[in-house]
Amino acid sequence: MDAIVTRNLSKVYKGLGKGHHKSLDSLSLTVAANEVFGFLGRNGAGKTTTIKMLCSLLKPTEGDALVFGESTRTRQARRLIGYLPEQPYFYEYLNPKETIAFYGKLQGLTRAERDRQWDKLSELLDLREIATQRIKGFSKGMRQRIGFAVALVGDPPLLILDEPMSGLDPIGRRMIRELILRLRDEKKTLFFSSHVLGDVEQICDRVGILVKGKLVRAGRIDALLGSAVNPVEVICTGLAVADVTRLKEQAELYRAMEELHVFRAATPEIANEMVRQILAAGGKLVEFNPLKETLEDYFMREQTQDGTVRMEGAIQ
Amino acid sequence: MRILAVAENTFRESVRDKVLYVLLFFAAVTILGSKALGWISIGQDIKIVKDISLAATSIFGVLIAIFVGTSLIYKEIDKRTLYTIISQPMHRYEFILGKYLGLMALLAVVTGVMAAVSSVYVLLLGGTLEPVYFLAVLLIYWKLMLITAVALLMSSLTSPILGAVIVFSTYVFGHATGVFKDLPPQFDGTLSKRMLEFAYYVIPNLGNFDIRMEAANDVPVNPAFIAFVLFYGLGYTVVLLILAALAFEEKDV
Repeated sequence: MDAIVTRNLSKVYKGLGKGHHKSLDSLSLTVAANEVFGFLGRNGAGKTTTIKMLCSLLKPTEGDALVFGESTRTRQARRLIGYLPEQPYFYEYLNPKETIAFYGKLQGLTRAERDRQWDKLSELLDLREIATQRIKGFSKGMRQRIGFAVALVGDPPLLILDEPMSGLDPIGRRMIRELILRLRDEKKTLFFSSHVLGDVEQICDRVGILVKGKLVRAGRIDALLGSAVNPVEVICTGLAVADVTRLKEQAELYRAMEELHVFRAATPEIANEMVRQILAAGGKLVEFNPLKETLEDYFMREQTQDGTVRMEGAIQ
Repeated sequence: MRILAVAENTFRESVRDKVLYVLLFFAAVTILGSKALGWISIGQDIKIVKDISLAATSIFGVLIAIFVGTSLIYKEIDKRTLYTIISQPMHRYEFILGKYLGLMALLAVVTGVMAAVSSVYVLLLGGTLEPVYFLAVLLIYWKLMLITAVALLMSSLTSPILGAVIVFSTYVFGHATGVFKDLPPQFDGTLSKRMLEFAYYVIPNLGNFDIRMEAANDVPVNPAFIAFVLFYGLGYTVVLLILAALAFEEKDV
């Protein structure tokens, strides 16, 4: 059974008078069980709105969403979800142990079950040393660990994480990344939004890209990146000035160091033709490197291809 | 258990609210300072102390209910603590009820402390305490129950400041509902009269909860009247809590 299914999920925020803003536009998406799904998009693209609707904090204007076959409006669905909001906030006068106990009570766990949860989660998230310290005064990284612990109370099969690495230092990010990988190994389903695309590329099985409230792409990362026509770097030496000038008409001269020239051809076909010309002109081929597109490159391309989205501050 | 968990947390949170201690301080000053007015009215000092003590218990209790109650839900949304709570497998009404019971527990402690201080003070001054005095305290608490439900409804709907204004207006008009009914003849047949009559039936008559004079003068009150007022207050409170739960059920957070 799929972990998440959304059908034409839409959210319109109504303003005063006739003003309204469509934050999410007919999102139809499926996330399989035991999958790690990265939900990408710029600020305001509709990621948090989607997550809030999955967690029953917002009501959809249209469409519906199911979690393991249960409508997200039901308590049963919420029992299956562990939710980590962006920059999680908890009662500051409670300590981590009391916080976990509080959420355990909200889940209807018995005292013995709550104690077991604390033992497990404090071990997993290294909370023992700060068990009796008030949350007030905790750093962002410590709060994030508590947020993860709260999301894991009751051992839900689906974790929905909103920007889990946002604002963390490199050590904090690494800890969260390793935790996500560990949860993936435990066969949890993870659905998370993130701006840290390098981490998403390492962790996720599939990604979805939202642009202005619309899902423009969804699929396996290797398939999405594999479908692109990748540029090729051609490094050569021993060419005359006239030959270099001729090659510059076919490809970008990326770098020139004494006799060494680095070209970037837009397609492998152009690169092959350039190699033929280099050898014919008596030059020497040093390297032929097909460049692998990163998720970040792909993401940026999707944003600009949309036609309506432009990079802020881009040189025209 | 979920309702109790929220209630316990609300109590612990409200106990840390500085407004509570400022109001309690002024309430204690008013109760202990009531003897000064007693000196002015010769031979009436115990009555004055009882009267002012009950008035202080009522007014400061209402102020606590308004200031803490109107920000109960709003603060949870503003501080985003609500996100991880509402996403738990619980009904939203359980959260509303938990918040309400937590604040009522706090008000029970506050009312109890003020009643204890005033009772000890009256006894120290050589006065006696009749059961009607404690019935007056009970009715004050019952009134706070109703006011807190109004405050919670407002907290689900609007900002703390606007909510406080509306609840305070309800409190003031609730003590003067008779004015809406007994209008001069020139109002007959007008829209104003119909609107004021509507307000008369909608706004709770808080005067019903006030038996201060009887308590100050040790005059017994008919038990049937007390039962009626308790039932009246409970009815209003239940309706207001249902409205608060319905308002919160539909709320995007």
